[in-house]
Order: sequence, then C-alpha cells, then structure tokens
Amino acid sequence: MSTAEATATLEPVESTRFTPSAQGWIARLVVHVLIFGGALLITAMVPGYWAFRISLAAIYAIIGLSLNVVLGYVGQVSLGHHGFVGIAAFISAWYVTTKAGCSLEQGCSLSSFFVATALAVLSGGVAAGLLGLVALRIRGLYLALITLSYGFMAETAIFQIPALTRGGAGMPAPAPDGFTSDNRYAFLTLAFLALVIYIDWRLIRSKVGRAILSIKHSEPVAASYGINVTAYKTMAFVLSGMFAGLAGALLAFRVENVVSNDFDFSLALLWVLMVVVGGLGNRVGVVVGSAFFALFPFILSSFGTLKNFFDKHAIEPELVGLALGAALALFTIISYQGGIGEQLSPLTRWLGGKPFTRHPEEHAAPKGHQRKKLLSRMGLDKSGETPTEESAAVETPSEPVEEDA
Amino acid sequence: MTNVLEVKNTGIRFGGLVALDDVNITVPEWEIVGLIGPNGAGKTTLFNCIMGAYQPNTGSIWYRGRDISLLATHRRTALGIGRTFQNIGLIRGLTVLENFMVAEHSRISYGAWGALLGMPRSFAEERRLKRNAMEVLDFIGLPHLADSHLDGLPYGTLKLIEVGTVLATDPDLLLLDEPSSGMGPDEAHEFGERLLKLRQTLNLTVLMIEHHVPLVVGVCDYVYVLNFGKILTEGKPQAVREHPEVVAAYLGGEAVDHTSEADPNTEPEDAGAPA
Repeated sequence: MSTAEATATLEPVESTRFTPSAQGWIARLVVHVLIFGGALLITAMVPGYWAFRISLAAIYAIIGLSLNVVLGYVGQVSLGHHGFVGIAAFISAWYVTTKAGCSLEQGCSLSSFFVATALAVLSGGVAAGLLGLVALRIRGLYLALITLSYGFMAETAIFQIPALTRGGAGMPAPAPDGFTSDNRYAFLTLAFLALVIYIDWRLIRSKVGRAILSIKHSEPVAASYGINVTAYKTMAFVLSGMFAGLAGALLAFRVENVVSNDFDFSLALLWVLMVVVGGLGNRVGVVVGSAFFALFPFILSSFGTLKNFFDKHAIEPELVGLALGAALALFTIISYQGGIGEQLSPLTRWLGGKPFTRHPEEHAAPKGHQRKKLLSRMGLDKSGETPTEESAAVETPSEPVEEDA
Repeated sequence: MTNVLEVKNTGIRFGGLVALDDVNITVPEWEIVGLIGPNGAGKTTLFNCIMGAYQPNTGSIWYRGRDISLLATHRRTALGIGRTFQNIGLIRGLTVLENFMVAEHSRISYGAWGALLGMPRSFAEERRLKRNAMEVLDFIGLPHLADSHLDGLPYGTLKLIEVGTVLATDPDLLLLDEPSSGMGPDEAHEFGERLLKLRQTLNLTVLMIEHHVPLVVGVCDYVYVLNFGKILTEGKPQAVREHPEVVAAYLGGEAVDHTSEADPNTEPEDAGAPA
C-alpha cells in the first residue's frame, strides 16, 4: 500500500489552525497600541534625565539583539562585545570630530552623524567577521576565551591609541542637529532599535535564520540540506558585529564624549547576562531583559533611601546590575528556562494572533486518538489495521474531534 | 546507461585505523544499489565521503561524469545528491514545516542580505516555499503536524518526515542510511514497495545501506558487501546472499559451518553479525 493510495481513500484531516475572531483582533490591536503608544508617550513626556536612560535601554536592547545572534542563534559565547561596541564608538566619534569638523560648541550635522554611524556599523561588521573566521575553527569554551582576550586586547591596545581616543580626556561626539535634546535623541535610538528588530525578524523568517538555526543543531545535517555552513556562520558573526557597531555609535553620540573607561569587561559580562535572563533566541525577551538591565540600577538608586545607601558605601549602580544579573541568570537557568521571553510567551503569542497559552503544542498537534488514526493511515501503526479493541475505539463516532479550534 | 555515481579507489584512515581501503563502487542510472556489511565495516564512512563530510585520503568521487571530490557538501546537495542519516537527520529546534523549508534551501533564489532588508521578492518566495512544503506534507499525510516541534513525535513519523525532507531537496541520487532501522519485518517490506514506487514516480537512483536482508534481496538491483573497509564481494543480491564469505562475515559463522571450513580466514570475523 503506497502513501498516495492510503491518503486518497480517506477524508482530509480537519484543520486545527487557530484564527481569532473580529473582536479578538480588535483586542489585540488595542493592546499593541497601548504598549507601543505608551512607550512613545513616556519617552516624549519624561524629563531629560529619564529620556537619557531610555536611550540607554534602547541601545542595550540593540546590543542584546546583537549578542543574541551569536549566543542564541549560533550558540557560541562572545565575551568581547565591549570591544566591538567600543571600537565602533571611537570610530564614529573620531570621524565626526577630526574628519567632519563637528564640535560640542557648534554641534554636528545629521549627514555627518549618518556617515559616522555607517562607518561604525562597517567597523563592527569587519571586526566580528574576523572573529567569525576564528569561530569556524574553534568553538565553545575556547572560542569564549578567544573573544575574552579580544576584548582585553581592544581595551589595552586599541582604546589607548591617542589619535583615535585622545587618551583619558576622551573623543567628543556631539549629538546630531535636531536630536540634541535627550528626549529627541531617545526617539532616534528607538527608531534604530525598531530597524534592528525588523532585521532580526526578517532573519528568523527567512532562509538565513533557518540556515543558522540548522547549523546550530547539526552541521552535517544542515550541509546535506544544501546549506553553506561556512558562509552562514560567518554571516551571523558579521551581522552581530554590525548591530554592535550601530549600538557603539549610538552610545558615543548619547554621552557626547567617548572615554575608554566606558567600555570594560564588566559591560561585556552584563550584556551576556541580560541576554541569558531575557531568554536566548527570544527577540521580545532579549529586548525586555536588556531594557530592564539598563533601567533597573537607575530606578533603584532614584529611591531616596537606597540612593543614600549607595552613596554612603560608594556602590556603583552598574555593580548592582552585575550582581543582580548573576543572581537572575542562575534563577533563569535553574527554574525559569527560557527567561523573561518564555514568561512573556503567552502574551506575545496572543498578540501574534494565537491563543493565550503557555503550551502551543497542545493546540497544534492532534490528540491521541486522531494521531493514532493518522499513523494507521500512513501504515506506520499496525494496530490500526488489525481489529483490536484499541483500533475499534478509534473508529467509534462518539469520539470528539479536536475541540480547541 | 550512464553511471550516476562512481566511487574510485577511495581510501580514508583515522590515525592508525584504516576505515576504507581502495573502495570502488558504481551506481548506474535508475538502479537501487545496496551496501551491506557488519557494524563498523565503514558503510556510513563511505556515505560521509560521498557527501563530502569527510575528505578521503586517496581516490575520487564522481557524479555524472564529474569529479566532485573537492566540492563542499552543500554543493553536492545542489547537484542532486540527497542523504538520510542513521539517527534521524532533522533539525530539532525547528517545526516540521520549517524543516521542509530548510530542505528547499538550495532552490531559493533570493539573496541572504536582501532577505534581511525585507526585499519584496523574498516575501513572495517565502510564501511559495511554504506552499510547496505544505503540499509535500499533504502528500505524506501530515498537514496537521506543520506547526509542531519534532520532540514527542513517534519514531516512524520522524522517519517519514526525514525521507520527505530529503525528497524536498530535489535529489537525483538518494543515499539512504539504514532506512528500515526500527521497523518490523512487515513495515520493512512495505517500505521496500514504497521505495520502488518512489523510484518510478520521481526517477530516482538509490544507494542504500541496509541490514535487513529480505529488503535488500527484494528491492536491490545490485549489492556491494563491505567488510573491514574493503569490498568483500559484489553482484546480484541472490548471488551475494549465497556467497560463502558473505555468509561467514555478515550473517555469522555458525549459520553455515561448512563455509567457514572452506575459508578459515573469515573465522575471526564472526563478531560482526548484525542485530
């Protein structure tokens, strides 16, 4: 009995795909508007020093998505991301100050800003591409060590080149015209975050993402599916570096004066932690987790009593983030696998037009009796052909058919 | 009749272990060629050499009159060689539908960077890919599993999905690594009939590693026997089955005592009898 014959004689399988009603779509639209409109409204209304933190949250989210490509999609650890981000920040600052003639007094034209950002993206892509070539040959712990030493190399060698960084005084990077206020600059970073999210979404929904995820699972299988393993692995690193480069440029124009001390190893560690806590490979989780780590120390220290405590003991808010990050990462690994993204998954699934559930599998896969019927139809389950009690039960019409559609 | 695949004088060694030694195999167009031999004989290693996962130390691999020895694996897939794996070769992290879409990879014409920027062509082609994948899923009777993950699906279903995905790479030559493993005798028989039908409809040439002797005799046009990295013998399945050295090496010595007396060299190779 061939498959074609077997399927031809049986009725088609009823579709179990969920589609929301008209009210369901309206409810989803309203929640979308509330979330995104709320975020934009907050950015427009809050005082400057809060907007200054929101732009950091957006930039951290870009860095998180950058690391997520390497950590979540490729499955390799990068402990040298502060190197990519830092080099890109210095290159963009170096360009606007020494080549485009910008200064903190006279400001900087928008076109110079975009050229500087493009240079930063390019530098990040090239630097990470070189690392990607290493990653083709080395992986796991050894690759983590290579990235670690790359980061330290950047810190101790590249960030000390006076022509690029002007030593301890730092390289000025005036914010572009029209975006000099903290609130407006926050909108600019949010726009770039939207662009990165869009690219990340296209990545996962195209052959590129499928190829990279296949390579992570099994390189021989991916190759035998016709995927160029070398090219896609390198591409993933280049893309990660480009995101990191963009984030570097945005960081530079945010603080308007780039100092090498701004980019140290503890940052790279914090970024890895925020991606793990956010949820590896989960876009929404990574963005939320990154924003949380950017905002949380600030929120903590804005409470009077805690701020006094921090000041009294000279505790850096960043240190709090790192300690908290380690604790949350442990928590994530032990009891909440999938991180923030997994916890938010019912909501994100619902917003995407699916039911509000933690277990989408139960809504997609057929229930026991139906699966058995299908297997016997395919000739894979022998019990369906011999008249045993089990298969007799399968055929009884009283059995309910898929009730969750 | 042209030869689809030719393995010429291929040898590979891992350290001191000679995994393959001067292996010659020819697969003519439209034939189902069997490759049998005890565990550890080097059958899967030979598949890895044909697909380019391993680089042989000696010899060359030819596909339709073209030397492909130096091509990367994905290029060989694009030429039309499809391969299944001994342990199911599917991507665990992806859904069933996505697995089919991965398998269509080498037939995608939009560029990788263009896709990231959301070029309209990539959207149109993604829709076409999805439709194609759904059609194949309909054909094998699993459309309702499109969005489920692989974990938790029964072994037989996974096998079926794997063969489906390999067919989705649009192969000319199919390399099957123990397709009947995990199947009972009846299922294996049924699989053999399906394979013959498949060859008819899709015009396939097949090289198949198989332990299940009735299946080999039932479907194969020609059989090679591999033992300790060497071709022990080759010929029509019936002739090979009765070949004394094969009986001794592959089926186990105690089954036919008189043959092991005829050739005492095969005596210590008994251990390799398959399960």
